[in-house]
Amino acid sequence: MTRPMRNFTQGELDWRPWVAPLDITTATQEQLAALKITPSNRAVGAYSLVLAHDPEALEQRSPLYNAIMFGPRGLPRAERELGAVVASCINGCAYCASVHAKRFTELTKAPEVMQRIQADGVDAALAPRQKAIVDYAAKLTHDPAAITPADAAPLRAQGLSDFEILDLTHAVAMFAWANRLMQTLGEATTPAREGNPL
Amino acid sequence: MSDLMDTLAGITANSILGNLRRQRPDVVKHLQGSDDVIFSPQDDGGLTRAERAAAALRVTTLLRDPVLSEHYRARLAMLDPDGTLARTVEGGARITEVRWDAILAHVDLVTRGPGSAERKDIDNLLAAGLSSHAIVSLSQLIAYVNFQSRVLAGLRMLKGAA
Repeated sequence: MTRPMRNFTQGELDWRPWVAPLDITTATQEQLAALKITPSNRAVGAYSLVLAHDPEALEQRSPLYNAIMFGPRGLPRAERELGAVVASCINGCAYCASVHAKRFTELTKAPEVMQRIQADGVDAALAPRQKAIVDYAAKLTHDPAAITPADAAPLRAQGLSDFEILDLTHAVAMFAWANRLMQTLGEATTPAREGNPL
Repeated sequence: MSDLMDTLAGITANSILGNLRRQRPDVVKHLQGSDDVIFSPQDDGGLTRAERAAAALRVTTLLRDPVLSEHYRARLAMLDPDGTLARTVEGGARITEVRWDAILAHVDLVTRGPGSAERKDIDNLLAAGLSSHAIVSLSQLIAYVNFQSRVLAGLRMLKGAA
């Protein structure tokens, strides 16, 4: 028994496809090859099987996602996750917001940051560097046409190099992509059980 | 060698920003690779290259990105020489074909309000004759152009703030 999920959660997550997932027993060689490189999110077997209907796109997108979220040096991984959470909150993707909030907290050991964002959204009171990241991620997610050169100043003032700003841009942009696939090819669900606040 | 993203951002591979991009070689490689397979796939799954360019033009029109719109307008002009699809995207021409109507409605939904998508939106595409492959390709395309526009916005910001 599952039901649609509309909010951030620390609980269990699942995803129910609206497009029939690929049947592995009838998959082509190319589809099987594309599935070998799976994005780092391990909870999305059905999701990968839906995307495998277009193996050419999947085969490029998986390594692109990994390079953006896990590439060495540059913006600390936790801050890439913060960008992902902000984009996901604005785009209404509870599944992605929950997964990446958890990652952020695992990396930083600072659960209060995601608790504040969960409670107050992108207007949450945060440390200045985090606030600058959240503000840029929110604006880029809402309306890329509104971004001007002046938007780089608050990030630089908090010590982000241009390489780190490029990393942040990639991470936020990647969730403009991921949130759209996740929410329009199926829906997040949470196991319905007694005492579950959702 | 410059790639599409350099060209769209108005930078060269050897510029400061071009060099910064190349500190993430796998991003550069698979961003261009994604563009290649989304717009020129080996197997289009029933979603033609002209339709792909037209759908992308619709996304960039919604996002008010004139540079990206010009890019897709030029691509579409090569694939749809009589301008039939272009007129439905930009010219306000009446849409009479159920399949194309369903595709454009989906482009608008996924760009503007992905959080309000429902199962019936996928069912509409299936009813209009799109295969699972075409639906996934269309979804990847819309999501990719939304990504592309934001990467481009960030590069323009850094270029302008240099």
